[in-house]
Amino acid sequence: MAGIASRWAEHGLRAILLGLLLCAFAAKAALPDYLTFHSEGERRLLWVPSEQGLSEPEHQAAQQLAKQGTEVWLLDLTHAYFLPQLPSSMDVVPQHDLADWLRAALADGKGVTLYAVARATVPVLHAIARLEPAQRARLCVLLMHPNLYAVAEPLAEPGYLDMGDLSGLRVRLLQPRRSAATPWLPGQLAHLALQGAAVSHVMLENLRETYWARETPTEFEVVESRRMAAMLLHEMNAWGCR
Amino acid sequence: MIVALIVSVLAPVSGMAAGFQTGANVPAPALQAQDLSGVPHTLASFRGKVVLLNFWASWCPPCQREMPSMERLRLRMAGRPLEIIALDSAETRDEVSAYLSRMPLGFPVLLDSDGSNTRRWKVFALPSSFLLDAEGRVRYILTGPTEWDEGEALGLVESLLAELPVAGK
Repeated sequence: MAGIASRWAEHGLRAILLGLLLCAFAAKAALPDYLTFHSEGERRLLWVPSEQGLSEPEHQAAQQLAKQGTEVWLLDLTHAYFLPQLPSSMDVVPQHDLADWLRAALADGKGVTLYAVARATVPVLHAIARLEPAQRARLCVLLMHPNLYAVAEPLAEPGYLDMGDLSGLRVRLLQPRRSAATPWLPGQLAHLALQGAAVSHVMLENLRETYWARETPTEFEVVESRRMAAMLLHEMNAWGCR
Repeated sequence: MIVALIVSVLAPVSGMAAGFQTGANVPAPALQAQDLSGVPHTLASFRGKVVLLNFWASWCPPCQREMPSMERLRLRMAGRPLEIIALDSAETRDEVSAYLSRMPLGFPVLLDSDGSNTRRWKVFALPSSFLLDAEGRVRYILTGPTEWDEGEALGLVESLLAELPVAGK
């Protein structure tokens, strides 16, 4: 009798363990496929490259950051969702997946900074708007030359996408000076503020958009591509991202 | 009718994807800019001429690619009522001067260092070009580069010149 009870207990334990394993797998399966650059430090950087996909300088910068104590989770949306490398691809990224990814990053108490580039900023901000206010307030956000337009046509007033509620969110916008978007920086900042974010910006002098992935980069752009990790750490510190 | 015929004949042989938008035939926004010598310019001084207004920047490779074709267009149209204006968006005088020392141009190059004209014309991409008729109305808009001395672009310029009284052509 004791043997039967023992076997039942063993089966029960196995069932529980199997259930936990399945739950864990289901939770992981809901998250998009991302690269992790492990670090024991207290900081975590969530890196979302542009709609052009991940470039080698970005990959190297993520490695450097991890070596310097900042863990990096790198999510290339075009790769994760098998999307063409186009701005319009960013409109079909499942926001709830991204929101789950953000919650997972916030779960263990590390300080979390999110860095997104160009049109990839749109699904990221939509996902952030889905978070609870307390979760949102824990995030620190860096946006590299974001493209937040719904409409941007010559001779017509620009229209911006509704990002949802960004109240409590701290957003720092990184704008390369050599960009057609530079004259429009005040409009982008005003729009983010209108959505509830606390905003600041920094102008990156002598650089073009996606300077790390240019076909014919200037010497300065090559140098700056190599020091992207240092630049990001500097901006995280400047914006008070712990 | 003749204009439409010219455009329809020329466009297919250009070998380019048609990128021109038809303007709303609305009066052009104001243009208030200085050239490199500090002389102020407005569109009013070009009234009575067809105007090609090109927004560009020296760091922009597509802008650099199309610039020689604008210079060739100027030479081709010498003596005809066409004015080409290149408005540099949000760069300093020194940056523009450095570019022009490598790429001399025979048409006016104006500065928009504070970006105010870029914002007034709602230019979100470079290069962006506007073809204005002699009355100062925006007739065609192109976002992106082209070869200005051939194909569709040349056809559109010719079509606007064809609208002028005979003496003005």
